Amino acid sequence: MGEKIGIYICECGPNIANKVYIDKIIEKISSIEAYKNKELVIKNHKLLCSIDGKKFLEEEIKQNEFTHLVIAACSPKDHESTFINICKKTHLNPYLFRIVNIREQCAWIISDRDEATEKAIQYIRGSINRVSYQSPLEEKKLDSNPDVLVIGGGIAGIETALSLASKKRKVYLIEKTSKLGGKSAKFRKLLPRQNCNTDVIQKKLLDVEENNHIQIFKETELEKAIGFFGNFEVILKNVKDNNLKTELRVGAIIVASGFKQLNTSELPKYEYTQDDDVYTSLEIEEMCSQNGKVLLKSGEEPRSIALIHCVGREEKGYCSQICCNYMLKIAQYLEQQSSDIKIKEFYRDLCLPNKDDQFFLENLQNSAIDFIRIKDIEIKGNKIKYIGTDDTKKEIEVDMLILAPAMEAEDGATELAELLNIQLDETGFFQEAHQKLNPIATSTDGIFIVGAARGPSGISESILQAQAVGGEILTQLIPGEKIVPEVKVSEVLEALCKGCQTCLNVCTYGAIYFDEDRGISVVNEAICRGCGNCMGSCPSGAIRSKHFTNPQLYQEMVEALR
Amino acid sequence: MSKSNSVLVIGAGITGMKASLMLSNAGKKVYLIEKLPLIGGNIIKNEECFPNLECSTCMVAPIQQDILQNQNVEVMTLSTVEKVEGEVGNFTVTINKKARYVSLIDCIGCGMCYDPCPVVLKNEWEENLAEKKAIYVPCPGSLPNVPTIDPESCLQLSGKQNCSACVEACDFGAIDFSEKDEKIKVYVGAIIVATGFDLFDATYLPNFGYGKYPGVYTAMEFERLFASNGPTSGELILRDGVKTPESIAIIHCVGRKDQGYCSAVCCMCSFKYAHFLNQKIPDAKVYNIYSDICVPDKSYQKFFENVKRESTELVFQPSTDKIKVTKNGSGLDIKYLNGKGMEETISANMVILSLAMIPGKETSHLSKVLGINKDTKGFFLTQNRNIGSVETTKSGIFVAGCAEGPKDVQNSIIQAEASVSKVINCLE
Repeated sequence: MGEKIGIYICECGPNIANKVYIDKIIEKISSIEAYKNKELVIKNHKLLCSIDGKKFLEEEIKQNEFTHLVIAACSPKDHESTFINICKKTHLNPYLFRIVNIREQCAWIISDRDEATEKAIQYIRGSINRVSYQSPLEEKKLDSNPDVLVIGGGIAGIETALSLASKKRKVYLIEKTSKLGGKSAKFRKLLPRQNCNTDVIQKKLLDVEENNHIQIFKETELEKAIGFFGNFEVILKNVKDNNLKTELRVGAIIVASGFKQLNTSELPKYEYTQDDDVYTSLEIEEMCSQNGKVLLKSGEEPRSIALIHCVGREEKGYCSQICCNYMLKIAQYLEQQSSDIKIKEFYRDLCLPNKDDQFFLENLQNSAIDFIRIKDIEIKGNKIKYIGTDDTKKEIEVDMLILAPAMEAEDGATELAELLNIQLDETGFFQEAHQKLNPIATSTDGIFIVGAARGPSGISESILQAQAVGGEILTQLIPGEKIVPEVKVSEVLEALCKGCQTCLNVCTYGAIYFDEDRGISVVNEAICRGCGNCMGSCPSGAIRSKHFTNPQLYQEMVEALR
Repeated sequence: MSKSNSVLVIGAGITGMKASLMLSNAGKKVYLIEKLPLIGGNIIKNEECFPNLECSTCMVAPIQQDILQNQNVEVMTLSTVEKVEGEVGNFTVTINKKARYVSLIDCIGCGMCYDPCPVVLKNEWEENLAEKKAIYVPCPGSLPNVPTIDPESCLQLSGKQNCSACVEACDFGAIDFSEKDEKIKVYVGAIIVATGFDLFDATYLPNFGYGKYPGVYTAMEFERLFASNGPTSGELILRDGVKTPESIAIIHCVGRKDQGYCSAVCCMCSFKYAHFLNQKIPDAKVYNIYSDICVPDKSYQKFFENVKRESTELVFQPSTDKIKVTKNGSGLDIKYLNGKGMEETISANMVILSLAMIPGKETSHLSKVLGINKDTKGFFLTQNRNIGSVETTKSGIFVAGCAEGPKDVQNSIIQAEASVSKVINCLE
């Protein structure tokens, strides 16, 4: 069967009709010698996106049995999807259709009507030539596994497991230590309303342990993960016995591997030894949980305590956003412990970004706690030197110091990122797919990041992010439903591939692997998003991006410039 | 009684749009209602978003398009909730849908109707910095790209005069004066409230001179003044006609003390403005007058450091309520107490007030209609943050985004995602 191309020009009311000569376009296109071997049908319509217009187009496609379709109208942003739907309805493969924007790119921007008409003709010619080189691509549907793997048994991982586990979805929760709960299980009280810890964290711990749809692997790490959204194969290993392995199939992976506090010995301005009464905030939390009290190494009650905010903030280059809050909480503990303790809070800026935080602060400001804003600070044992906002240098000595060190990504983050083919950002935490619009997804579909592994987060933020990942998985990985991957993907032409592997480095989605036996790169079409990076980087021209092939682009360009 | 498979989303800002698209993906029918004639919310008023300075329109327009083209999402603009009955799984919602008087189907958005309209009005969407006609779109690029007629000002609709200038200008027969306001009933299983925020009214604090001195702008006014689709096409022309101010003072935390909370985004917005100003007027002196730097995200401090290095002088003062803006010749003086408690003065031609985010105007009414509580600050009350901050005091009704409290875009998105999770679980 020969080619039969339908070309429809939308007048868009007066928008196109009054700015270009539509009859001239039709006349010119019909008379082009090079198209004599193609069967062309060229017509115009007042408004193709209207109900009448759509009906007209449908009937035309059915009657003429077109092999290809070109529509000259508005921006593809406005109505490409409208016409794609008509193609689907009339069983014309939508990848054999092309929209030409003669409104925004011709009619609306060129005041000279002849010039606008000329440009519209060039554009339409390009597309007529191009559609002949387009291929009818087909959507694929893949089975998916609804089960998920959660890496990390802290509060973020626990909440993720609880939001997702159901009759139709199994959750595998792995934790590298022997206990679930992470750091938050060590806390005595929670912000902002100081509910008793056992109410919240302990209940969640119990819920996870008792849930039949959650399988917990303690002392377990990820060893390997391959596959793509809906179909991952993972291998887990026991941290004590590396030969003890478990193989699982899951549809999605959630990283909730948490954080650690910056090692203060890395900071020259904070000089102290194990013998000094200097503690990090987490050490104080543990001390409180165990003893119910904050005590000096000598066993006595401290009489004066300095709390120091922002330890390592400058060096790390980011604010850990929860420290101000928890330092206020610690100050409140201490105040309740004994009214004889003199408490000084040394801070630079108070970062209290939740609506309830300031109320908490104002209550404390009315108490005996001394808030001291500083420009710089140094400690040596229990001696403090600081510069206040009035630029005066002062020195004081206290019984005890409590530091709020910056939060950092957990030690294993780099290895985990490599195993999962996801990125870390410049702060060392896992990087989001889009900082604003897709903040818990990663560049690899089906792999998500929650809690402090994603960036400094408190308990409430981690819980919220865990519920958010629940939302993403419940709406994307639905039990029994198939997954439709991108159609416009890349492919490697075996005969041309020299095996240099340049493409592996430029693919941000991890969609290309190297076949050692054949010595060529292979694209996993289920992962590829069709960005075209590999095509551009391939030195031997062996990679083709479907729907954006070199012949398609060349033929469009040549004809448009003819 | 079986549960409805439909969901009502109130508010078509970034939060409501995100939640709607996700729910649609899971096969839910979504009614997305928006009180304004356009969707997109506050984010589309910004030219660029911190910290990556991405163009907001480029970020949001594809989402707006997805919403408008989505078969499962029924968008109702110019609509508010009038009544809600029932309970989780089965709510009956009465929606008050105002007439647009322009057909969403027939209109192609060519804009031929604006010029002939004889009525000129203040454009509130443009923070009153621009004018509009009685038939208008709030700004170029509004979606849906279909104008609205203001019935109180339109000569024909208000009965003042027999005018049909717009009808004559329309080649598509899209204008219909006979359209009536409607009451629409929908049945839904769950509701997501994503009504966003408003900004603190700067006229409550006369010491900042807003409304008195033309050189004093609110943050949102500055966003529009800077926007390339805004009233001046992005040119910095002040109200009194001064082009390109030579010195600008950005004052942080205006209204924070009165509201009793930090709004979490204003520091970053203020630094963004300094960057904008430095790009546009490299010789201008830009001051950021602050009391606490609040940059609560791993990516924010780097942006702040860059701006501090390249675009602004930081001025610390501990008591924002003691700041006074006064007139000095053709310019303005900003008096404040420094870290030592001494009074100092900065002179500027332009002052930008970074205002606290406050609950949306309709929050009180909506809390009554929905039967959910507000917190002491006037935002929607959620259950204890440690259990989940999207559940309101009524089962089946969830809140997301700035309707729950001030926050940035990513945290609004995270709440949208979390509320979707809750909706799906409660409709199982």
